[in-house]
Amino acid sequence: MSGGVSQLESLLPRESLLWIFAAQLAVLLPHSVHLPLWLLGGWCIAVYWRLEVFRGRREMPGRMVKLLAVSLALAGLVLTYRRWFALEPMVALLAVSFTLKNIELVSRRDALLSLLLAYFLAATLFVFEQTIPYALYGILCVVIITAALIAQQGLGSARPGRALGMSAKLLAQAMPVMLVLFVVVPRLGPLWAVPQNSNAATTGISDSMSPGDLSELSKSAKPALRISFDGPVPPPEQRYWRGLVYTHFDGRRWSEPGADRGGLNWGRSGPGSRGHGRSHRGEGNDASERPLPAVGPRFRYQVIQEPSNSPWLFALARPHSETRGVRETGDDTLVYKMPVASRLAYDVRSWPRDNASSDARLDALERRNHLQLPAEGNPRARAWARARRDEGLSAEAISDALLNFYNRRFTYTLRPPALGADSVDEFLFSTREGFCEHFASSYVFTMRAAGVPARVVAGYQGGEWVEQQEYLLVREYDAHAWAEIWLPARGWVRVDPTASVAPERIRDGLQSAAADEFMQDALVPLHKFAFISRLQLQWDMVNYRWYKTVVSFDSERQQGLLRRILGEISPLRMALFIGLPMLLALLCLLLWLKLSSRGPTLPVASRLYLRFCQRMAGAGLARNPGEAPGDYARRIERELPRLGPIAARITSAYEKAAYGGDPLAEKQLRRLLRTFWPMRLAGDALRHTDSPTEGQSVGQ
Amino acid sequence: MLEKRFANSGDAPIETGQAAIRPLFRARWLRWLDRRLPAARRVTLNHRKLFVLPSGAGMGFLLVIFLLWLLGTNYENNLVFAVAFLLLGLFVVLPVHTFANLSGLELQLLDAEPAFAGDFGRARIALHKTGKRCHERVRLAWPPEEGIVADVIESDAREVHLDFPLVQRGRVRAPRIYVHSRFPIGLFTCWSWVDLDVEFLVYPQPKSAGPLPFGASVGEGEQLQAVTRGGDDFAGLKNYVAGDSLRHVAWKQYAGGRDLYSKEYASGSDQHLWLDWDLLGGRDVETRLSNLCAWVLEADRAQVPYGLRIPGQTIAPDLGAAHRQQVLTCLALFPVQGIRQ
Repeated sequence: MSGGVSQLESLLPRESLLWIFAAQLAVLLPHSVHLPLWLLGGWCIAVYWRLEVFRGRREMPGRMVKLLAVSLALAGLVLTYRRWFALEPMVALLAVSFTLKNIELVSRRDALLSLLLAYFLAATLFVFEQTIPYALYGILCVVIITAALIAQQGLGSARPGRALGMSAKLLAQAMPVMLVLFVVVPRLGPLWAVPQNSNAATTGISDSMSPGDLSELSKSAKPALRISFDGPVPPPEQRYWRGLVYTHFDGRRWSEPGADRGGLNWGRSGPGSRGHGRSHRGEGNDASERPLPAVGPRFRYQVIQEPSNSPWLFALARPHSETRGVRETGDDTLVYKMPVASRLAYDVRSWPRDNASSDARLDALERRNHLQLPAEGNPRARAWARARRDEGLSAEAISDALLNFYNRRFTYTLRPPALGADSVDEFLFSTREGFCEHFASSYVFTMRAAGVPARVVAGYQGGEWVEQQEYLLVREYDAHAWAEIWLPARGWVRVDPTASVAPERIRDGLQSAAADEFMQDALVPLHKFAFISRLQLQWDMVNYRWYKTVVSFDSERQQGLLRRILGEISPLRMALFIGLPMLLALLCLLLWLKLSSRGPTLPVASRLYLRFCQRMAGAGLARNPGEAPGDYARRIERELPRLGPIAARITSAYEKAAYGGDPLAEKQLRRLLRTFWPMRLAGDALRHTDSPTEGQSVGQ
Repeated sequence: MLEKRFANSGDAPIETGQAAIRPLFRARWLRWLDRRLPAARRVTLNHRKLFVLPSGAGMGFLLVIFLLWLLGTNYENNLVFAVAFLLLGLFVVLPVHTFANLSGLELQLLDAEPAFAGDFGRARIALHKTGKRCHERVRLAWPPEEGIVADVIESDAREVHLDFPLVQRGRVRAPRIYVHSRFPIGLFTCWSWVDLDVEFLVYPQPKSAGPLPFGASVGEGEQLQAVTRGGDDFAGLKNYVAGDSLRHVAWKQYAGGRDLYSKEYASGSDQHLWLDWDLLGGRDVETRLSNLCAWVLEADRAQVPYGLRIPGQTIAPDLGAAHRQQVLTCLALFPVQGIRQ
């Protein structure tokens, strides 16, 4: 059907080009964060070239130049991205394709292709970011691209105000359809494995811990978790969000089991490696095989985790989650099937240890793993531990002695002095100033040396309520490390050595525990202004609600919402739910069509006269277009003589009313018309003319 | 008859895959169109006459929506879903706008100018607004001609000229006009096939047959006799007819308060210019008509009164636009088979 478009018209005018480039720029701008610089440069060159062609200063690039451009772009992609099955190279490929399209942007078809690509690229932005500002920007992009499509229609449509206005109008009308579809269309879940955003740096807690790691985190006020409870809320001193368990110690670093064997490197390798690491640990009791406790769960909550680019999730002890992709590990933590690249929401039920049954067992291999220590180093700590064991103290007594030791002599600080090779010895017996990782590390080391199975747990502790306990906001500076020891009668028991030094850290959070040092490096100490903190919390709450209602709207929530709206989900109700808004929208549109197509309203006399003409047409004598009323009356007189007199009276009344503005004539016209039924009159005798009753009965 | 109408429009309204069923299908389609959209010189487009379907661009747009849906599904990304649904919503409301853009547009055939075969016939068509709504980017065409684009925005009416290629002389009925628009985004096409009852009078294609046959007569061995160009002897006055040469107007009489007269110059009855069918013996019918046509034009240009003699019809020598048209019409409507001699 495009045969009717002329060759000349299929060439792109200047406005079309500028609109296309504007749309591309709008789409590329936010992507520039993760696109290589050469790509953006290439885009600028392509646009410049195309505009020069338009000005007639340059030719369209020839075959060789195009070939060169394509090979350069491909080479650039190959050199920039080593891995192809990832998100960034895909996006870069899209951007490259419309950049290259620019230098052969000739026909309307090319323009369309370019803009359709732009739609797609605009949507891929959301795979990287789903925050409110990005969502708004995405809508802006769609409006601009649609305006660019509109501008392709011709010069009249290409004026910026008109194109944008019409685009916004059309998209506003599309909004209701979008809302209904958003709620109704089923979410199928991934159809195949897709590349994830993998190049981003890991943030938050990492897979190993050496002195200074967590104090580094304490400088960041970025949100890490947002937790909303369904039912009871744990008291502050129980809010230990467990993430990782470190069992291996090499004298300085604590790490996950198997990390030293190179099997655990989350940032680079895929989800398979977790299983690999597990197998080295050889824990027979995989989480799925362990029965959940009979009583409980005590806590039900939803965690929304910020992207960390690592697979660890955070939950209270003995967690269990039904959320897809979340798995429970042998040491009571949760992992996701892949690194968390965008915000992730997961529902958790927790059975805290204090009411756990005591039939837990530790097999020989696990026992050995949890007693592992480097062959040598830190002799004083070992000696101290051996002395306590030789005194015949129980595990609890040794632990109490150690905690007492901390309590009497140690200082909790965000800026601990550097430690040398025997880090535990130096900390315990000389510096005695440290952050949570120092306490946890030295505690576990000493307990192990005393023959008590122990491990370091890293995660977050605490959190800040937002908006009357709507949710708990846990920030990066809430990162914390503590210890767990194995007591034969009770199983794994949490011991937090930091609590014995700085109980306020556990109760009130870092800010009150280290007030002087807290966020000291911040460029602007915003946290010191209460109202700014409040504003930040408000903004966080808006974000949280946005995420909870829109971004994490999945099939479960979908069913919940539909059930709330419809009562129950039956085909009939669904059909009504989808059909009614559509019908309503259609009716509105039709009404609008009707109203907008109606000409200027006619004066009363003209409308009455039109009615007269319609009735005459019904009687078989229609008024010709442009025929003067007088001529028409004479023609009626000539062809239907019986109607002649009354037609003449109506006509003269009309002329008086319309042109003379005579209200009496208008009244007369109305009266005459009331009894004017030419179809009957033409057929019957004229004598019924004056019978008003008949006219009325027919007229209604 | 309708099939014939579209015969010269090459690849027109619908593309059906198979060549075998195509003529059949087209005939049915045209019969249906004739019932639904009868020919009229004035047609108002409305829901009964308009069709709306996605264009090629619209299908591409749907493909993008599908790809976005895939992206949203695989990444479980609700914002990508939202974009996909927003575009789908746009796709749902667009046909209404595309339809509304053409609905209410009135097309009226003002006239169809006669033309020579091998030339373009020009139809003058008025586009009216019947309501307040504007009609933008309205395209009119006789496919495969490119046609024209018109906006009816500010004024209530607009006159457009639509050209139709004419091949054969005679009365040629133009096929239906393809009225369509893709406003506002080009994802949908709204169209109609309007029969404005356009009929062109097509004169034969002028083909030169040498100089004008002054004073020539047939009979004496079909030899053309050169005669001096007559017309110097004043013969009398006749009523002025539009198209008479101004040089021959009797200005003296006109200045004296009388009506406008033309001076008639006689050159003797056999000195009249007769464009005679028999002068062109040995050629086929169409060529003879083309040659006569060329002579008519030449004589008219030279302002020489000329007469026409063709089998079955004789037109006395005269001059002027009316005469010229009468002669040309006579040539145009000469029966195709010719007359047996």
